[in-house]
Amino acid sequence: MATMQYDKLLTKVRNLSPEERDVLDSPYTIPNELYAALRSVLHDVGGQPDTPQPYFLKEEEDWEMNAYLTSECLAWRGAWNSEMRRRRENDLGATEYFGLPYYARWITGAAKALVDEKLITVDELSAKIDEIRERLEAKKK
Amino acid sequence: MSTRHDGHGHGEAPGEFQIATKVSEFEILELAVRELAIEKGLFSAEDHRKFAEWADGIGPHGGSKLVAKAWVDPEFKQRLLADGTKACLEVGIDWLQPTGSGTPSDYTFFYVLENTPKLHNVIVCTLCSCYPRPVLGMSPDWYRTPNYRRRMVRRPREVLAEFGLHLPEDVELRVHDSNQKSRFMVMPMRPEGTEGWSEKQLAEIVTRDTMIGVALPAPNRKSDTKTETLVSGGRRR
Repeated sequence: MATMQYDKLLTKVRNLSPEERDVLDSPYTIPNELYAALRSVLHDVGGQPDTPQPYFLKEEEDWEMNAYLTSECLAWRGAWNSEMRRRRENDLGATEYFGLPYYARWITGAAKALVDEKLITVDELSAKIDEIRERLEAKKK
Repeated sequence: MSTRHDGHGHGEAPGEFQIATKVSEFEILELAVRELAIEKGLFSAEDHRKFAEWADGIGPHGGSKLVAKAWVDPEFKQRLLADGTKACLEVGIDWLQPTGSGTPSDYTFFYVLENTPKLHNVIVCTLCSCYPRPVLGMSPDWYRTPNYRRRMVRRPREVLAEFGLHLPEDVELRVHDSNQKSRFMVMPMRPEGTEGWSEKQLAEIVTRDTMIGVALPAPNRKSDTKTETLVSGGRRR
């Protein structure tokens, strides 16, 4: 991240969400219809209008299968359960929910759950991430 | 709309993709979570290995066996329609595996939906990606796309047509929305031209897509080849 230019990153983030819309910026009051719309949950996509797209078969990456297995093992031994997993995914927010690949949603949710449940700390997680990145990069050289 | 299917969203060259670069951030995150979990004793490496072994063994072949057996054995068919989970045991599929109390995500009611000349069934999960893993294995990626989830409940006939399945108008179409408590699988009709076939032969034409409901079995149809395959980094094969 240190080498990534901030402006470039900012542009990318801005492009993730459309700007041609009514900007909501904590209004003093809102119409009931808007309140109802705001209460709809983002994962409830059934019936939303959309256009045809090609449906591809995609081979599972190793990390994807492992994200599934790790999430299931965490639930098997009680660190969380499948309802918490789904809730984690659904609560990622629209940008991440639609922006991340399917299993990235799972493993992102798992990491956040373990931190929130105080089963691991943020420091432990970032130290482990650094350690693994170093290990994998050394292996690929 | 998402551009994840073609893998070339936002004008990026394929080389910029997360999973195509030297080290995947998702791979790192998964390893970090797993290793920390094992170090903290949240689960064991043996648990992970055991679950992986189970996951390796599941696949559409499980469902194919159920359907083929039901085609040749009317009494089994009745048992399967009456209690899907229980009937699965007869072909060696135990919904309590691999933990003894099922998988955390699939320990649910299981219903088999019978197609008839006047009724066609198809499954979806609009809220997430619920899928009968113990009998069909891992879901195909397209099943989990927001696009399929959005459109299957609104314009099912159009979506089926995109899969190459054109249903006559007088055939009723029922879309079953799976959820955390209920999983479904379609039992297609046995096609003509399969008279005298063995159970094993029949199972070969009961492909995954025919049990999701986006295709029909045919004597010469042994694989779901309609969709293109994406390999690592979102590239097309």
